[in-house]
Amino acid sequence: DKERKKATPRTRRGHARGRARRGGEEDGDDDEDGPRRAGHRRHRNRRGRGRASGNEGSDSEVEPRKTRKNQANQKSKEDGEEEEDEKGCKSGKGKNEKKQDKKSDKKGKKEKANKKKKDKKKSGSGSDSDSEEEPITEEELAKLKEEVEEKKKLIATLRNKPWKMKKKLSVLKEAQLFVEKFEGALGKGKGKKFYAYKVMMTKKWMKFQRDFENFKTACIPWEMKIKEIESHFGSSVASYFIFLRWMYGINMILFGLTFGLVMVPEALMGKPYGSLPRKTVPRAEEASAMNFATLWDFSGFAQYSVLFYGYYNNQRTIGWLKFRMPLSYFLVGVGTIGYSFMIVIRTMARNANEDGGGDDTSFNFSWKMFTSWDYLIGNPETADNKFASITTSFKEAIVEEQESRKEENIHLTRFLRVLANFLALCTLAGSGYLIFFVVRRSQKFALEGLENYGWWERNEVNMVMSLLGMFCPTLFDVISSLENYHPRIALRWQLGRIFALFLGNLYTFIIALMDEINLKLEEEKIVKYNMTIWEASLYNGTIPENSTAPPIQVDPADVPRGPCWETMVGQEFVRLTVSDTMTTYITILIGDFLRAVFVRFFNYCWCWDLEYGFPSYSEFDISGNVLGLIFNQGMIWMGSFYAPCLPAINVFRLHTSMYLQCWAVMCCNVPQERVFKASRSNNFYMAMLLFILFLSTLPAVYTIVSIPPSFDCGPFSGKTRMFEVISETLEHDFPSWFGKVFGYASNPGLILPFILLMVLSIYYLNATSKSYKEANLELKKKLQTSRRKQKKK
Amino acid sequence: MDMLICVFCFVFFPPPVSHSQITRLYSRFTSLDKGENGTLSREDFQRIPELAINPLGDRIINAFFPEGEDQVNFRGFMRTLAHFRPIEDNEKSKDQNGPEPLNSRSNKLHFAFRLYDLDKDDKISRDELLQVLRMMVGVNISDEQLGSIADRTIQEADQDGDSAISFAEFVKVLEKVDVEQKMSIRFLH
Repeated sequence: DKERKKATPRTRRGHARGRARRGGEEDGDDDEDGPRRAGHRRHRNRRGRGRASGNEGSDSEVEPRKTRKNQANQKSKEDGEEEEDEKGCKSGKGKNEKKQDKKSDKKGKKEKANKKKKDKKKSGSGSDSDSEEEPITEEELAKLKEEVEEKKKLIATLRNKPWKMKKKLSVLKEAQLFVEKFEGALGKGKGKKFYAYKVMMTKKWMKFQRDFENFKTACIPWEMKIKEIESHFGSSVASYFIFLRWMYGINMILFGLTFGLVMVPEALMGKPYGSLPRKTVPRAEEASAMNFATLWDFSGFAQYSVLFYGYYNNQRTIGWLKFRMPLSYFLVGVGTIGYSFMIVIRTMARNANEDGGGDDTSFNFSWKMFTSWDYLIGNPETADNKFASITTSFKEAIVEEQESRKEENIHLTRFLRVLANFLALCTLAGSGYLIFFVVRRSQKFALEGLENYGWWERNEVNMVMSLLGMFCPTLFDVISSLENYHPRIALRWQLGRIFALFLGNLYTFIIALMDEINLKLEEEKIVKYNMTIWEASLYNGTIPENSTAPPIQVDPADVPRGPCWETMVGQEFVRLTVSDTMTTYITILIGDFLRAVFVRFFNYCWCWDLEYGFPSYSEFDISGNVLGLIFNQGMIWMGSFYAPCLPAINVFRLHTSMYLQCWAVMCCNVPQERVFKASRSNNFYMAMLLFILFLSTLPAVYTIVSIPPSFDCGPFSGKTRMFEVISETLEHDFPSWFGKVFGYASNPGLILPFILLMVLSIYYLNATSKSYKEANLELKKKLQTSRRKQKKK
Repeated sequence: MDMLICVFCFVFFPPPVSHSQITRLYSRFTSLDKGENGTLSREDFQRIPELAINPLGDRIINAFFPEGEDQVNFRGFMRTLAHFRPIEDNEKSKDQNGPEPLNSRSNKLHFAFRLYDLDKDDKISRDELLQVLRMMVGVNISDEQLGSIADRTIQEADQDGDSAISFAEFVKVLEKVDVEQKMSIRFLH
């Protein structure tokens, strides 16, 4: 691209906008051929920078950060950038960019010659320092400094002087030379080289920082896709995809932790497959170990690999690096949960900050009217998106207005809302009891042996769960029409109720797991007993029991194996995740895509209008999808301790989900009738996520603390409790005083006051934040009344 | 020929743009001028993609052409574009007695105002707003909703109760908007 090549060396500085402007200016000398236009070229320069055009979309909308579009842009910018510490600008930095924008605009006013000067200065300041070797006195130094500063000021203000071009150019050259020559000499004596070097390095560092910021912004994945969806469907649907992207980031980090610190060391430095009984497929299963069906079910070879807990050996250190495998396994498990907590709360806190500022504009509609169009758009597709987003923005504003104007009959509304809540509670209680009842029955069936019962009894629990999951949300939808809430609030209630329903789901799953774990623990005792008998049979009873005998070589595949409940738990979670994914994809393909195809093509030969009546095109189900995402993540958090492969599977799943759902939304769905503005912060989703995170840590912590690990598999085999690995490490690897300190610190007498202190500080901080919010509201009210008074005047 | 006229004019009229800016604008002008007859017609402007897809594109093009004419020469072209010259700090302190420069904030806003006020009665009426809305939004929003939006806009902006937006009210609406920066093009320098 000709312009880009010309533009690149000089225009890499500065914000994309200033960049674009300078890019336009660069070509002033040349006579551009026919079809190039100023705006077109500028536009192409900007489009060439991908992400920058999204950026421009938010900057060139005139309203200073107050339109929903701008906020959504900023939010999507910020949300997308909230992902990880490495990526993205914080909102503070976002403001910084705007400041930089202004700065670079001022710079943009300088002539091209000034930029040439800057380039030369950068390279020249270092080189000229060694031309001046004579000693300079203090006075002369000070005078020199002054003169250099003067010349610099002259260069900066040169373009404003009402001189002829020739004169300006000659003065500029002279000042330039002077500065080059003497700036390097400003450092004192020996230090002048260092000073010049420092100046150069500062400039290089600033340039690097700017480039890095631009690079970081360009790296945000899927930004254009999400922007497109936002234009067509509104910010509420887009908020789902932003949430998905954020989850993807978290899962990448979890994947990095489990993969790098658990799976890779074991694979590289641990004992290879087949060397230990726990690392080998038992003889009985060998025949079917490589079948696709077995692998899909995550048994066979998949089970006896680094993917699951059971493969890991309980050696304290492995390999030449003396890598402490059990300790690492335990710490990674705890660390993933800890990291997730930290990041969820951090995001909530950040969102709460944004939420604080209100946007009461008194010229909302006028601004939308007069300043929505982005005049720098030259591409027809972008123009289509812009049209769609203007329409959506108007629709959202209309909904907001309607809601604020609704005349409410307070008593009737209240009565209806109470009634609706009562009905919803009844439904939830009913389904809860049904689940409880069904689970009890299935436990009874299991005790009596499942072979005696038919298909229904065997699958009763699953069927009941699926049926509830299908009908209850629709029921809640119907109930919510009684309530007459703002669509955003109605969505929240809907989410909350379906969430409570799905908790029942979770409950049955965990009960089933606990039952199986107990079964396996019982089995262990039997197997242990059998092992002693088997060992004795190996020696054929020839050697008395208490003398040592040379170990007999037995193929690891033949050794009888103890049951491994941890691997079983891990497998259950993995299977659940996989089946969940499959269900989602198939629902999308059938429920959305096939339905859309049917409506589209059979409309010609059908009695009634398929597109307007039943079934019509589907709308994007925000609540269902968000809840699916949140519960899926809960499963990952629960299961990743027992199956280190889970985060990897989830990363893959989220990646494909993103592409599939983006395509499905644009292709098969229609926007909702009432498009409403999503709340500026995603805090509601975050709150639910936090709750699920808390719930998912409970089972994991319970199993770590109170269930003994299997004796025959995993990195903790042989210990009475899993957390003993910590005390073991403290004993062996740390100096003795450390252990003493730890012993004192874990004294309940110390911990209880600490907890009390934390509770008190939480209360105090809560109280102060409440008072700040109130003060904020007061000020806002004052502003409003003063504006209203002004208008009346 | 046109360059000669320009130079001639600059002797008698204070230049709205400076020399290097003129050179640059002239090269633009000639590249737009397909017929090479020294003037631009409406078709020439419509060849610019950004104007073609702009809902207000036709009105912007009209702003270049003086009343009732179909061709614009280079001087007219420059006068219109001079509205978009960035405001520079030192100019603010220049002579306050002389005529206001074309690129002052007030004149920029006046330019924008004229895009909406079609019948040139110095007021933006409800119908004019409806027309603009229709252009921006197409058929996706119903007529009555558009009417409500127009009413609401007038309600927000109108201060003297005449159900139309006068220029002063327009200025008040865009008070907090950074017009000096947004309505500036850096084709100069």
